[in-house]
Amino acid sequence: MAAGLKTVILLSFVLAVGFLLIILSCALWHNWLPLLVAITFVIAPLPNALFSHCGADDFSGSYESTGAVDLGRFLTSLIVVTGFAFPIILAHSGVINTSACVMSIMGGGLVYGTILAYSQAFKQDESEFD
Amino acid sequence: MALPRSNYDPRRVCLNPFPDLHLDKYKRTVGVYIAGALFAIANWTFLDAAVYSAHARVPWGDEPPVHVTFVDWVPGICSLLGYLVVNLIDKDRIKGDEGFGDSRAVWRARLFLFIGFALMAGGLAGSVTILVLKYALNDYAEMFKYYGYANVTQNILLMLSAIVLWMAQSTNGEYEYNLTL
Repeated sequence: MAAGLKTVILLSFVLAVGFLLIILSCALWHNWLPLLVAITFVIAPLPNALFSHCGADDFSGSYESTGAVDLGRFLTSLIVVTGFAFPIILAHSGVINTSACVMSIMGGGLVYGTILAYSQAFKQDESEFD
Repeated sequence: MALPRSNYDPRRVCLNPFPDLHLDKYKRTVGVYIAGALFAIANWTFLDAAVYSAHARVPWGDEPPVHVTFVDWVPGICSLLGYLVVNLIDKDRIKGDEGFGDSRAVWRARLFLFIGFALMAGGLAGSVTILVLKYALNDYAEMFKYYGYANVTQNILLMLSAIVLWMAQSTNGEYEYNLTL
């Protein structure tokens, strides 16, 4: 469990750095629009988490994905791209600073990477109890 | 050719068939992800033009000569409606297998598919029309022609996304059909 504990601590540090970057990108220029990036990346894993339970029933194999699972993946990809595209668009039209754009993209990437790494690192433990 | 002869599909049109996508069970997942990403990039490209237009400041004048108005939104809305229609169709109906369903359902499904693709093609054509009539013919500066280019890019990417999603969802291993329409 020591490796798991180290993983949790490392991931929480990365998550904190990500949120720090996003909040700094808002607070340094007194423009709180990049905070939407944090919300976007936090809700990004939600469709997959919801729709992944729609796939498996007794009549279909576990490898066969249905329309609901596809919808969840589609929405996930859409939200992730939205999170990266939103600061770029704001910076392009001059609403936020360019460095604020870079900082919020990096922070959002760190937050989403943390969520992905967390779900990947602790998926093995859940599957043992199935 | 390395492919076995039994894989030959007599219905196909092109000499080189569409790439064989059902090699792996992850192909479908990757295809759906790529389709979602293309969808988001398409819409954000156009929204970028709209936001840019709303915040545009001409350095040498006071008022920009042209803005993104509702006319620019119409091709994108058409393409989105077509996208919905194309993806709401049950794809097993399109194949028209004998003894599966009745022929009226196949006919109706094909009609719906035609309406969906007509809406998407209409959106693409409308975006090119807007690019030519509103922006290219009026000798605006390059930063205003970007609105028209973004509109065309949106519709092209929406069509690409629909194609990728269709091909990704047609990769059920047991039913061997790909984009042979």
